Amino acid sequence: MTERETTAGREATTGTDTATVFVRAGAGGWGPGLTLRADEQRTKVLSVTGGGIHPVAQKIADLTGAEAVDGFNTTVPDDEVVAAVINCGGTARIGVYPRKGIPTVDVYPGAPGGPLAKFITEELFVSAVGMNEVERSTADGGAAGTAAAGAASGGTSGGGTPDGAGSGGGVPPRDERPSASAVAATLPVGGPLGKAFHTVTNVFVGFGSAVGSFVNTMLAAGRQTIDLTLKTILPFMAYVSLLLGIVMYTGVAEWMGQVLSPIASNPFGLLAISFVVALPFLSPVLGPGAAIAQVVGTLMGSQIAIGALPVQYALPTLFAINGQVGCDFVPVGLALGEAKPETVAVGTPAVLISRMITSPLAVVIAWAASFGL
Amino acid sequence: MQVLAVMAQQQPAQPEGETSGGVLGVFEWLGTHFIGLFEEAGSQFVDLVTGILPTLIVLLTFMYALTTFIGEERVTRAVQWCGRWWITRYSVMPILALLMLTNPMAYSFGRFLPERYKPAFYDSAVSFVHPVTTFFPYANAGELFVWFGIANGVTQLGESTVPLALRYFLVGILVIFIRGIVTEKLTAFMIKRTGRSEVFADFDRQFEQAKAGEKA
Repeated sequence: MTERETTAGREATTGTDTATVFVRAGAGGWGPGLTLRADEQRTKVLSVTGGGIHPVAQKIADLTGAEAVDGFNTTVPDDEVVAAVINCGGTARIGVYPRKGIPTVDVYPGAPGGPLAKFITEELFVSAVGMNEVERSTADGGAAGTAAAGAASGGTSGGGTPDGAGSGGGVPPRDERPSASAVAATLPVGGPLGKAFHTVTNVFVGFGSAVGSFVNTMLAAGRQTIDLTLKTILPFMAYVSLLLGIVMYTGVAEWMGQVLSPIASNPFGLLAISFVVALPFLSPVLGPGAAIAQVVGTLMGSQIAIGALPVQYALPTLFAINGQVGCDFVPVGLALGEAKPETVAVGTPAVLISRMITSPLAVVIAWAASFGL
Repeated sequence: MQVLAVMAQQQPAQPEGETSGGVLGVFEWLGTHFIGLFEEAGSQFVDLVTGILPTLIVLLTFMYALTTFIGEERVTRAVQWCGRWWITRYSVMPILALLMLTNPMAYSFGRFLPERYKPAFYDSAVSFVHPVTTFFPYANAGELFVWFGIANGVTQLGESTVPLALRYFLVGILVIFIRGIVTEKLTAFMIKRTGRSEVFADFDRQFEQAKAGEKA
């Protein structure tokens, strides 16, 4: 962190040989905007959108003098990335780059959500970005330099606080304070009675701190759960309910049942679905956020509820509609596993081709496993 | 506002013949069905919230606490041990990774594998993110409706979802295992096909060295 701040500070003082680009949020977007700049080390704009380099990534690269790189073909060390351009309205990819501390530009109107929501901050994330939202910064390097310097000085003063407080006679830092057991040990009791007292106290202190840590862990788990419920689960339920309401009330559900049930209630129809969604040029498009699989799952569920689709086809359906799972995420997932660029180059096609075989196979296995349901 | 709401509630009860004709009739029809649509959607929302959410919230809390108590270090050791054999590499390893780190951080356990197995491990792990939601929804709480969507339909028929959940989970394990092996073979084929055999032999040596270095 400090290293980057100092880099930014030095750049500001040496002059404006590299241009600064300001990216603001578009309509329905999130975040106050990002100021991006390339330097000797950070020279790549990573486009993780699929289907080549996104125009927004290209524009940022052109304006900063960096190079646009397609994240689906290659991986770039994190410390060489100026910014990552993503297209994610879902919950997974949206947080991966902010978590690494890489400024992230979402071309969809994404907002903090999902398991990585806490990493998606105003300093690192901006969304709903189109070509018009990317501009050469009007504020010159000086302003950015001041901000960086301010942050740096904030950092130093923050670092100095514990010492200052310690000498200034305030509350000493936690590890300098006498612990409860130490206090107990200084109690003026001697002899065997004192020893027994000591043991008992230790047991109580140990027990107390165990309970404390237990309660704190449970509370943190509860907080995490409620956070996730509010930010991810409830919004999805609201949207699914609206969709279901429309489909049920207008009678589209029955109409869909008439079209879908011949396909979905025989093994060959399901095989066809599973093969189509696993086609290498479709699967990365169908994947993001499992949005399509979730909507189709919900609609298929409504068909089961009205009796248009027999229950014994539920299991093969679950696999048929999901042959594309994670195909949009291959390079990112591999990067999370610290894969080398060569591995991404051979691994992405291997996964996509594998799906054409294993996706129909999964339907067959699921179909065979549904007997007696 | 109140009048509107009362009207909206009363409208569906009236037989259609009684509504006045002409332009006003069209608007009445629109109004009735407009509000009716959202009442239907609202009742779907109540079903989802009351049916799924209470159990889900306490289950999520319990599982998050449990994973904290177990600790990432212990699981990391188990995962490294699983990565050595092909049988566990595409069955136990991805499941442990998902249960401990959840989607999407589970894929980071790929770092304990040689380069040539990473794509297969990713494929295996990512294919389990929906079967896992049957009994462990916390592992992928952002994408619950692949399973819940179907399960909701079964529940509305008045049947138990447990038999279906169990089969989805077990078939899921079998599928990720097969998928891992197929992808591993295809990766090996792609390495040969693109003339990268030397590069990957090099990666394997680096991996062995790193492992030996860790032990020393």
